[in-house]
Amino acid sequence: MLLLEGFSTALQPVYLLYALGGVFVGTAVGVLPGIGPAMTVALLMPITYALDPAAALIVFAGIYYGGMYGGSTTSILLNTPGESSSIVTALEGNKMAKAGRGAAALATAAIGSFIAGTIATVLLTFLAPVVADFAVGLGPVDYVALMVVAFLTVGALLGASVLRGLASLALGLFIGLIGIDDSTAQQRFTFDNPTLVDGVDMVLVAVGLFALGEALYVASKLRHGPVELIPVSKGKNAWLSKEDWKRSWKPWLRGTFIGFPIGTVPAGGADVSTFLSYAAERKLAKGANKAQFGKGAIEGVAGPEAANNAAAAGVLVPLLTLGIPTTATAAMMLTAFQRYQIQPGPLLFENQGALVWTLIASLYVGNLMLLVLNLPLVGLWVKILQIPRPYLYAGILVFAALGAFSVNFSPSDVGILLVVGILGYFMRRYGYPVAPMVVAMILGPMFEVQLRRSLQLSQNDPTALFSSPFALVVYVSMALIFAASWWLRRRQTTLEAAPAKEEVSV
Amino acid sequence: MSDLASTSAPAAAPAKRPTGEILFALVFVSVGVAGLATAGSIPIPPSETGIGPRAFPYIVCGLLVLCGAGVVLQVLRGKVGQAEDSEDLDVTAKTDWVALAKLVGFVVLHIFLIEPAGWPVAAAVLFSGAAWSLDAKPLWKAIGVSVILALVLQYVFGGLLGVSLPPGPLLEGVPFFHG
Repeated sequence: MLLLEGFSTALQPVYLLYALGGVFVGTAVGVLPGIGPAMTVALLMPITYALDPAAALIVFAGIYYGGMYGGSTTSILLNTPGESSSIVTALEGNKMAKAGRGAAALATAAIGSFIAGTIATVLLTFLAPVVADFAVGLGPVDYVALMVVAFLTVGALLGASVLRGLASLALGLFIGLIGIDDSTAQQRFTFDNPTLVDGVDMVLVAVGLFALGEALYVASKLRHGPVELIPVSKGKNAWLSKEDWKRSWKPWLRGTFIGFPIGTVPAGGADVSTFLSYAAERKLAKGANKAQFGKGAIEGVAGPEAANNAAAAGVLVPLLTLGIPTTATAAMMLTAFQRYQIQPGPLLFENQGALVWTLIASLYVGNLMLLVLNLPLVGLWVKILQIPRPYLYAGILVFAALGAFSVNFSPSDVGILLVVGILGYFMRRYGYPVAPMVVAMILGPMFEVQLRRSLQLSQNDPTALFSSPFALVVYVSMALIFAASWWLRRRQTTLEAAPAKEEVSV
Repeated sequence: MSDLASTSAPAAAPAKRPTGEILFALVFVSVGVAGLATAGSIPIPPSETGIGPRAFPYIVCGLLVLCGAGVVLQVLRGKVGQAEDSEDLDVTAKTDWVALAKLVGFVVLHIFLIEPAGWPVAAAVLFSGAAWSLDAKPLWKAIGVSVILALVLQYVFGGLLGVSLPPGPLLEGVPFFHG
């Protein structure tokens, strides 16, 4: 079987070492406060520049899962709200840590992540080739439909403000237009500037928006004084008790089967799945366990953490088989692939089967390594969390500059990075989400190609865009997703309001 | 892009009044307008039978204008944006423009130092400068950390990983800083 061949590559000692390195660095960077998974992948891109494609993909697989995982440690142990995909974990995890059950919270998160990650990777293994086979038959019209959905979900569905999300999306599309038009070889929006002819490099925009923009934003309102960490208690009570296991395993599985499907459709990836899992656990809990919600219920950590990791694997399905990234992190993975001339899409499994299966095999390996690494190394992650903030943000600046410079070894790229970073600062300040911009920038050129192809085939008849049954199904599902999300958003506001009220009444 | 930088600078208004937010939304509008104005001059090859290289730019720039204008209207009606949250953020603090200006200044300095002084020097200057801007104490410690960090990064990336960072005149003779 092809997967076995993948394993035979991924299990070579050198590659195991790369996987270990990737997982370790990914977790370490992911643990850093303020650094989400997308920023982890963006910041760590330079470390793979000199590796061969297989090694680079293995490192990225590790970084991807490690970065996803790192965030949960942050939100459990740090006394402040964290990045969105693990913010649900913070609701209960933080309370558990304060009650001296930090180690149990970390353990249920780690084991849940492992179980969910493994099951989801198995699902990915079986689902991806099937989807790829199906996707070979898709025409340009179908791709247009899929990408419209990806644009709208990332732009309009996920942020707090629809208009700002769409503005961010449009700006990303605009930056994607700069350079030479693929179809006609004409220059667009280059303003006769030779550095713009090749377009603006994705890495510059991503690192600028995520790393530099975030560092500038935090610097502008830095919390001074010592870092408030919740100590991880040791001793008999700290580790998972029998009761904890009993309360955790169902949420782990439920989280997995909530997270994976949501990851595979462009419906928001990790954020939405963690929230849904949390809501489900809260609803299903009974008696005393239910009363614990809002005060440190272990189900509220186990479920969302599993959902988070399962969604991370699910996101790889459309990424690998259709070439469509549905989250900012996936957009960064796609950028990394493209650097190695790997074009994800229906033909990927045929053209570069060996590489893909190595990547998938290393996801299994990375997942196992995460479990083995994470629990014993909690002490180290705690140390990383305590890095004095001036050093942390100075370090992020240096790394961002390094990443930008090493794209083409040109100092002027660092200048572009700075401009994008300042833009990212103002976007954060005024509540514009940056993820749509990153996704749009990478998806925009692909979208235009497919759009023009569809219209060319139909002699410029726009109704052709709705002619294929698959496209119609996609548009109808999009309408349903939007309706469902509107309903969910209303529930989320009531849910978020609920714990606050309970605290008052207690 | 340079257009963006110059127009977003005046957005440095006090946080309470939405002037800055309106100016920033106008950046989107102006990029869109500039795009609409120049998209007409994109040459269309005579062989083109489809919608050509201008159609999508028109759509994108139109979207920029609409969304930017929409945000301006929202803000004028009092619906301001929700600033992003982050772990190390003190939401009650006033924006520290001085620290921001210093950070931007050190990145600029870094850009101009890379080629003449070498990457490690430029990186050390950026790190210690940024740490100083963010009130790292004591300063000598930050400088010490920056030197070690710069040398380690140069060794790992330039030496081990083969990323060709220029070592600069100071370290030119040290072989393990090269690929």
